[in-house]
Amino acid sequence: MASIVAYIELREGAVTRPSRYAVAEARRVADAAGATVYALLTVGPLGQAQIDQLASEVSAAGADRILCSSADALAGPPLDTTHGPLLAQVAEHLRPVLLLFPAGGVGAELGPPLAVRIGAAYLANASIELVAEERAPDLSSQRVVLTRWRAARDGQRQVDVGDLERPVVASLACGIAPASLGEPYAEVEMLPYPESSHAGPSLLASKTDDAAGLELCSALVWSRSGLDGDARTALPAGAALVVASETISPALAAASPMELFLLSPAAPDETLPLSLLAPDAAVLRVRAKHEVPP
Amino acid sequence: MIVLVCLESPAPSRASRAALALACTLATDAQVVAVSAGGSVASHSLDLARTCAPVSRVLQIEDPALDQADFLTTGMVLAEAARHLEAGLVIAGERSDHEGQGLVPAALAHHLHARLISRVQSVRLAATPDAIEVTLRAGGKICTLACPVPLVLTTPPGPNIAAELPVGASRAVDSLPLAQLGLDTSRLVPRPNLLGTLVPAPGKRPREMTWEEAAAALLHHR
Repeated sequence: MASIVAYIELREGAVTRPSRYAVAEARRVADAAGATVYALLTVGPLGQAQIDQLASEVSAAGADRILCSSADALAGPPLDTTHGPLLAQVAEHLRPVLLLFPAGGVGAELGPPLAVRIGAAYLANASIELVAEERAPDLSSQRVVLTRWRAARDGQRQVDVGDLERPVVASLACGIAPASLGEPYAEVEMLPYPESSHAGPSLLASKTDDAAGLELCSALVWSRSGLDGDARTALPAGAALVVASETISPALAAASPMELFLLSPAAPDETLPLSLLAPDAAVLRVRAKHEVPP
Repeated sequence: MIVLVCLESPAPSRASRAALALACTLATDAQVVAVSAGGSVASHSLDLARTCAPVSRVLQIEDPALDQADFLTTGMVLAEAARHLEAGLVIAGERSDHEGQGLVPAALAHHLHARLISRVQSVRLAATPDAIEVTLRAGGKICTLACPVPLVLTTPPGPNIAAELPVGASRAVDSLPLAQLGLDTSRLVPRPNLLGTLVPAPGKRPREMTWEEAAAALLHHR
């Protein structure tokens, strides 16, 4: 049976929201196309109880099987130089048709070098669409199409997974994961970390990235003048506020939300990277309270 | 140490400008060389590099085949240039402004057998000659790493920093033929299309909603 691999990113020891979404998307594709969903956990040295806890959460998100590699080299940030050889080993072993990275920058770091290493097609900031075959309406013959915008939003780039005789690596836009798609138990297969004869990078210092939340948000609220304190603090965890006067920071450039709320009076202009939105993202214009509905 | 900064042709992306700016921060302790593969000698990328004071040399890898090259070929050619110049550090923009996905730097690092580190914010030469200190965004952290060379770094798109680059006297652009890199043009064969097909954009209009509807919709993003 074909396999799909979803990479799981941990931050502060917890599975990120985009990672749960990536597993849920893998589950959706697997149910339609007939495939096994593998979730790949890469962790520093952890006890079995902690690994089981993470595996349980990933399993509930929709994974059939959990692959886990635990090593000192995997304790730091997800970098190609530390994580890439393991990913290549997994791809070589499973030969998946699809390898998915969650939103949050990990796809930009790990996706392109993995695609080059294994000769895969690659799509960044993609959305997945299941398209029914005209002549065969049964589920197993649905086509899996990955799409991303061109930066100017004047066209889209599409990859039909079935058209390629090679795997597809994709980083996903940041969507909302369903509450639960699977059982909170799945078999965990521990993977050895590939030995390397080369010295890797050594971590000298690390601090929290205050702008990192932007990378993980599934909704952006765009405002010309900001929000007052109450409204700002009421924003849910998956939403981030962007004020029009802000420049496009590297953190904002890494965002890939599925919904964009434009607070009136406002219109997206060059200060907002519309190209970051997922292909099926919704643009929602929110009328000011004094505006009369049309 | 030679620091090679790669600029795409014909015009530098915001990420490439950031790469050039990053390379310039090393110019007091290293020799910064700018290179562009393909395009015209009068390209905006080469214009930017030749008037950038900290850049000591500007190279153009010239061959008509490069104008149609895929990302794997472009990466291979740039890797051969880095090898030819004995560059310890290569810096490139993470992606082009139009459809870039970070594949050229990945292909470059692959062919150079060098480590690739993305989303770099700053860099400095370490106390030992065979290492670089790199500060980057990754995993929700700002991390500083000591990395052995050879190394390929990529910079994310930043604000337009052209005005911040120190301007100097315009220097000549040296041509770097493929043959000098040991590459035969006949090797630059088209590869399978790994980027998918281009389709027209669907026409979507913004949906109108009230504050109350927006508040309810936002709650789904818990």
